[in-house]
Amino acid sequence: MRVGKGGTPKLEPSDPDDESERRFIERLRARDERAFLELVQLYQGRVYKLVFRMVGRRDEAEDLAQEVFVQVFKAVGNFRGDSRLGTWVYTIAINLCKNRLKYLGRRKTESQADFEPLKERLNAEEVQGFTSGDVERPDQMAEGREVERIVRLCLAEMDPDFREVLVLRDLEDLSYEELSEITGLPDGTVKSRLHRARAMLKSAVERKLGGKS
Amino acid sequence: MADPEEPAPPSRLDPQGEERVKELVRGALGSASVPPDLTQGVQRRIRTRSRGKFYADGWSTSKHPPVNTYLVTSVMMLALLCAIYGLLHPLSGSPVEVKPPQPVNVLPE
Repeated sequence: MRVGKGGTPKLEPSDPDDESERRFIERLRARDERAFLELVQLYQGRVYKLVFRMVGRRDEAEDLAQEVFVQVFKAVGNFRGDSRLGTWVYTIAINLCKNRLKYLGRRKTESQADFEPLKERLNAEEVQGFTSGDVERPDQMAEGREVERIVRLCLAEMDPDFREVLVLRDLEDLSYEELSEITGLPDGTVKSRLHRARAMLKSAVERKLGGKS
Repeated sequence: MADPEEPAPPSRLDPQGEERVKELVRGALGSASVPPDLTQGVQRRIRTRSRGKFYADGWSTSKHPPVNTYLVTSVMMLALLCAIYGLLHPLSGSPVEVKPPQPVNVLPE
């Protein structure tokens, strides 16, 4: 994150030693309410999306995303600035998501299927891969939707530790270094866990698709 | 290097397979809904948990500063002061000229 002249944060990556970011963090540490408001406005979209992709329920995601910022407000006094502010916020978000998922034991239910149906989503034309976005005929469209549903179901059933690396790498496009900071795992472990998560997802989807045909 | 504590994947994936799974994930979860505005909820929680220490005034919880509220309040107060002045000014009358007292000779001549 970079902070502009007026202390307004921008989204592009920056050097953690950036003077303006350091000033912004100081304002946060001093419990400057306006600075915190700026932080919420800057990150709320990304945090909500991340949380939604992790927990899969809109109501749960909104509640949890708000809780993320409350925790950020509480803990910002302890933020040493070793990592970028955005990475730190993501770390808190991911940890809260994993705790909530474990607490609710939601993985074993199908309630994660609250993921929005395709027609309600934005930028549906950007959907990639073997999905309904690629097909034109109604039967192919239905098939694409079914595959999406199965993928979502398999992701919902996946262990949060594996799900987090998939979400952070494949959806949030974070680097391995950032993944390593957020998860607290060595680079190599992140890579192997990501590889394993993809392989597990592929097997699970194939198993479910095989069972259907 | 892979962590020795991590168990081996159930099956090997070639780079193309990995890319395909990545596209599957993006297709299924790639586009989320429009994020709601969290500012009000976050500030309400902080206000409650800090027992009113932070975000205590209701105005700071609004997304934009309520400039109109400040302006209208100021104009109303000015108008009220002018009205009070207008009412009380005629009652004040004009000041009566006070002559300075003559010196009094208290000592016998």
